[in-house]
Amino acid sequence: MLAAIQTLVADGGLPAPTQTDANLLWARLQMAFTLGVHIVFACLGVGLPVLMLAAEGLGLRRGDPLWTALARRWAKSFAVLFAVGAVSGTVLAFELGLLWPRFMGTFGAVIGLPFTLEGFAFFLEAIFAGIYLYGWDKLSPRAHWWSGVPIALSGAASAWFVVTSNAWMNTPQGFAVDASGTVVDADPIAAMMNAATWPQTTHMLVAAYMVSGFLVAGFYAARLLRRPDSRYDRRALALGLALGGAASLLQPAVGHWAGHVVAATQPAKLAAREGQFHTERRAPLRLGGLPDEERMETPWAIELPGGLSFLAHNDFDAEVQGLEEFPRSDWPPVAIVHVAFQLMVAIGMALLALSLVAGWSWWRRGALPAGRWFLVAVVASAPASALALEAGWVVTEVGRQPWIVQGVMRTEDAVTDAPGLLAVLCVTVAIYAVLVLGCLSVLRILARQPLPEDA
Amino acid sequence: MGPELIVLGILGAALILYALLGGADFGAGIWEFNTAFQPGDDERELIQRAVGPVWEANHVWLLFALVLGHTAFPLAYQAAAQALWLPLLLALAGIVFRGVGFVFRAYAVDSPFLRSVWGAVFALASTAAPFFFGAALGAVASGELAFTEAGAYAGSYLTGWIQPLGIFTAFFAVGVCSYLAAVYFTREAANLGNEALVATWRRRALATGAWMGILAAVGLVFLALEAPELWSGLAAGWLLIAASAVSGGASLWALARSRFTAASLAAAGAVVAVMAGWMLAQYPYLLPPAIEVETAKGPEPVLWGAVIAASLGAALLLPALALLFRLFKAPPGVD
Repeated sequence: MLAAIQTLVADGGLPAPTQTDANLLWARLQMAFTLGVHIVFACLGVGLPVLMLAAEGLGLRRGDPLWTALARRWAKSFAVLFAVGAVSGTVLAFELGLLWPRFMGTFGAVIGLPFTLEGFAFFLEAIFAGIYLYGWDKLSPRAHWWSGVPIALSGAASAWFVVTSNAWMNTPQGFAVDASGTVVDADPIAAMMNAATWPQTTHMLVAAYMVSGFLVAGFYAARLLRRPDSRYDRRALALGLALGGAASLLQPAVGHWAGHVVAATQPAKLAAREGQFHTERRAPLRLGGLPDEERMETPWAIELPGGLSFLAHNDFDAEVQGLEEFPRSDWPPVAIVHVAFQLMVAIGMALLALSLVAGWSWWRRGALPAGRWFLVAVVASAPASALALEAGWVVTEVGRQPWIVQGVMRTEDAVTDAPGLLAVLCVTVAIYAVLVLGCLSVLRILARQPLPEDA
Repeated sequence: MGPELIVLGILGAALILYALLGGADFGAGIWEFNTAFQPGDDERELIQRAVGPVWEANHVWLLFALVLGHTAFPLAYQAAAQALWLPLLLALAGIVFRGVGFVFRAYAVDSPFLRSVWGAVFALASTAAPFFFGAALGAVASGELAFTEAGAYAGSYLTGWIQPLGIFTAFFAVGVCSYLAAVYFTREAANLGNEALVATWRRRALATGAWMGILAAVGLVFLALEAPELWSGLAAGWLLIAASAVSGGASLWALARSRFTAASLAAAGAVVAVMAGWMLAQYPYLLPPAIEVETAKGPEPVLWGAVIAASLGAALLLPALALLFRLFKAPPGVD
């Protein structure tokens, strides 16, 4: 049907098949929006258990009720955030099939293994979340701490498996298709262990710890701006910053690794990311700039000569392929990918600087910087880290377009024919607004509960 | 036996477990309509205690079934996702609001207003989810959806899923969830030692059980008229029909005798028999009238991969589940 329409369009100059075009737009926006919301909650689901366990462990080891109180309060916030993460993740699990039926029909089997394993990881996470959250009075303190360990482990594992299948969409392998486009042979292990798997999953997990750490630290920094003497808030801030800071030290190296793999496997994505229209040796690294697809140039960028060649291929004189090597119809939206990438890297560097300052002060003086400027910077790190997370996801997803499976299946060929996707999108945005506002209002109620007497 | 049958068995088991466990959590939400008008907080607390620790784990059976579905039977998944997109989206909205409604209500500790708002959301959404799942399953069972063998759907995206049988199964699913929840709650209340609550839930369970018995009998007649293909398959499995009737009757008898654990097991047994009967009656079709197990299955290595992954996963999962249920569902004194 679709092929027939396309032939018609090519032969007779008929207008484009608008139903598919519109569906593609609304389905992509629907996916981007629901994923963009879910990713923040999912990252908190990975990172918060680590903080919870650290606080509870410190309370156990030092016999300090203030740490235990912190762990109990974080556990309540975790329960709320985990529920939102679980339901918004369920939405995505359904949407894969409902929005992209031909993608799942063709490749559902190939990427089934990581999804199955993710199912088990999430199962364990949900089981131990139930035990941990409701088991404070049913288990000994030590056993209770241990019941939280599987939450942190399986949270990370489920993120790993899910990102594995996204990595497969970037660097598909482990299957063969016949002339009609049907998958005839599949090697699920090879599909799971594709070229992008390790760098992309590592980059994502480190990002999850970064975002969790900075969101928590930022929240308590805001409270400290109002009540600078609260011992409770200072401890919470320190713990959050320790997690976010440690992760932000690792992230540049991991990001560099991920960039290398993109350079080797998705040259069009790399070129769009860097605003590189022409193939050249000694390609410059562009800071800033706004790519212009029509004129095929990226004006207003600060260019560091040879920088991109070095970052992509470890050689200042290496040749970097520009977008001119690829047919126009295979270009991702260049400006979006470039700007998102710049945003992610800039914020990452700023967070790294903040972590270095905090770490230096802690090492030299045994305390975080005392000035008000520091608290303000930590407050700003919270939305900034979430923004960097979203920007990074835009780079990987928009940078893969027009493919849903790089080089194999176009996004427009996967989208559903169902009508009314715009209406579904509008309803979804309204539902998610209620969800997020409800979540924030409940978290506010929890934050206002007085501390227990002994803490 | 090919690996697709093993996967099909696991898939069927996951769906049945979702109905028994996740369905009862929906049922708890449906009963919330009732408890919203009760004076005390006793009932709400019972629901909270019973559902709180387990609902997320129970919910994962659905995700597991989805994943196994697209892994093992991608063509059927593609076809179902197109034909049933609307009822599935509506069920999904129910799932979303059920989850957050329940948790927001539980943690909005000092705001009676927010608690009642989210409680109402919890109740409505818990009803919507099984209703639309039931409608979707019934539409499939009716054999009226215009599937093609290649995994395409030629029917209407907006109204194709509205089938007489589907409307019946929608209400039946809501009823099954309410019945399971009511029976399980008699046991929860007895474990808590709250006699007043035991009496309330026992009365509700008996009434719902009687209604469900009548509804099931009507349903059989309906099935014979509306889905003759399925009916002829089911007639061959008359043992399962009989088992369901006996088990359902036994659950009522056990309720009357105040043997609540036995009642819970028997009620669950009745549901297992109904669902297993439906699955057997429909076999070898996944989506009648066009899509069979044989034509929709994925490549062999993937099917074996799914079997191995499920076996290894079960080795981790089952002890963890046992721990969860022992901690929160065992009667006092067993610990």
